[in-house]
Amino acid sequence: MITVTGLTKHYGDRTAVDDLTFTVAAGRVTGFVGPNGAGKSTTMRMMIGLTHPDQGEVRYEGVRYTDLRHPARLVGSVLDARCMHSGHTARNHLRAMAAMSSIPASRVDEVLIDVGLESAADQRTGGFSLGMRQRLALAGALLGDPQVLLLDEPSNGLDPDGIRWLRLHLTDFARRGGSVFVSSHLISELSMFADDLVVVGGGKLLAAETVEAITARQAATVVAETPRPADLARVLAGPHVTVETTGDRLVVRGTTKATVSQLAFENGIRLVELSEVAPSLEETLLDMTGASAEFASA
Amino acid sequence: MNITSPTIPWTTSDRSAVRTQSDDVRAVPAALRSEWIKLTALRANKVILALTAVIGALIAGVLAATATDPTLTASELFIYPLPLVAMLASVVGILMFTGEAQHGTLAVALAARPARWVIVAAKTITATMVGLALGATGMIAGFTGAALGGVALGSGSALTSRALWALLYIALASLIGLGVGMIARHTAGAITGLLMWSFVIESLFAPALPEGVRHFLPFSAGYRLLDAGPNFEAPVAIANQLARPQYAVIFGGYALVSLAIGTLLLYRRDSN
Repeated sequence: MITVTGLTKHYGDRTAVDDLTFTVAAGRVTGFVGPNGAGKSTTMRMMIGLTHPDQGEVRYEGVRYTDLRHPARLVGSVLDARCMHSGHTARNHLRAMAAMSSIPASRVDEVLIDVGLESAADQRTGGFSLGMRQRLALAGALLGDPQVLLLDEPSNGLDPDGIRWLRLHLTDFARRGGSVFVSSHLISELSMFADDLVVVGGGKLLAAETVEAITARQAATVVAETPRPADLARVLAGPHVTVETTGDRLVVRGTTKATVSQLAFENGIRLVELSEVAPSLEETLLDMTGASAEFASA
Repeated sequence: MNITSPTIPWTTSDRSAVRTQSDDVRAVPAALRSEWIKLTALRANKVILALTAVIGALIAGVLAATATDPTLTASELFIYPLPLVAMLASVVGILMFTGEAQHGTLAVALAARPARWVIVAAKTITATMVGLALGATGMIAGFTGAALGGVALGSGSALTSRALWALLYIALASLIGLGVGMIARHTAGAITGLLMWSFVIESLFAPALPEGVRHFLPFSAGYRLLDAGPNFEAPVAIANQLARPQYAVIFGGYALVSLAIGTLLLYRRDSN
């Protein structure tokens, strides 16, 4: 389990991370989401001691990362897939990492096989594609057979087979009792395997709940089509109900399909179409973080 | 892709064990092995070693072939390429840190060993070994080049004394490079700064400074360890020189200070 308590980081007048508190449970995949500039990468760097927090701390099974005798045996991390010397081969890159963490050299070949890079082991990383670098970085995180994985955008550059492998591996890792903390902008991908989400915006914690709980924050949307859109909109109007009309089509929020059907029947309004669209995690998160986005599209 | 079973039997207490100071000391050999792998795995470092041999042989060989003083021997000429070899050693020292900082592997090392002094200790020992290796290569090549250039071999006892001081000079130059690299964190800035200081600032301004001040300039002091002999110094300058151990303390002091400042900055700075 990872326990983050009151984590704070200032850069001059700017507060990059503001009093973050959350836990990452063992046996679960926890997604870490937020817009650009929300403080995700800064948080993850503080979680492995690369950046000094101004306040707060992070503990792994009750121990601070910087107090661990062999961090790589408990925590494997990938914060930047480019962290490798272009003049080193994949094998030598991992050999150096294994030596630094007092991990047997035999693990190098094992993790290269795990990530599918055994045939590229003796190639210089300068010639690697982004996907190969991601796989090599993952191999480095797995060297110590850790119980915790911290990954920042791990699926960047991976092909569909690689993304699927990553998803299956992280899910399997969690099912075997490990803790997975993964940040990603691919909300649809994350929603397929994350159990919990930590949502940040403007450096602040916006939510730390299960995926289901976060998705349920946004009500379903009811879509109705009728020859009498103005009449239907009038009867549906009420507190907490919003109606958007485009021609004969109404998009209604704040009520249920059953309620729309009942009101239409009671007022003699014929419906051509009536359907309910479940809220997507992506829409819910965009709604949650929209106000705190540092760089937003027009 | 398949998941293989790991071959390491970590226990739960292994994984979350809290480190002690003695654990950190025991981690230095592991960090040293890692530094050695990183150093020897790079083609560029092997090129620098070969270049050192070429420079040593070429400079001493040309000096021997064109010398007008018939008493000059290979035991004296072999040290003349060494200021250049010292610059190469400084550059390697710089790259040992800035290369890692710029490629992001420094963050990987610091995540593996949160006790940052362990990384510094390993790099310091490695930089010293690099300096000694480059120094030995330069001297052997220089001696060989001078002998091939046609001068007599010279006295063995004087050779040994000069060689040992020269090894110290090159090793300290490598350490100064490491310290400068740790402070600057940027390859181009560190190398430019070091070369500018040595070849421009000290060379241009040192002659205008009082002798008492010139002794304490880093590379002027370091060069004195080579004891280049009276052919390139005025007698009054030779008479006013400090003893070689004193120059060693001055040059070594610069290495120590640069490493100390670099270590302090390594602890204070965030590593991205």
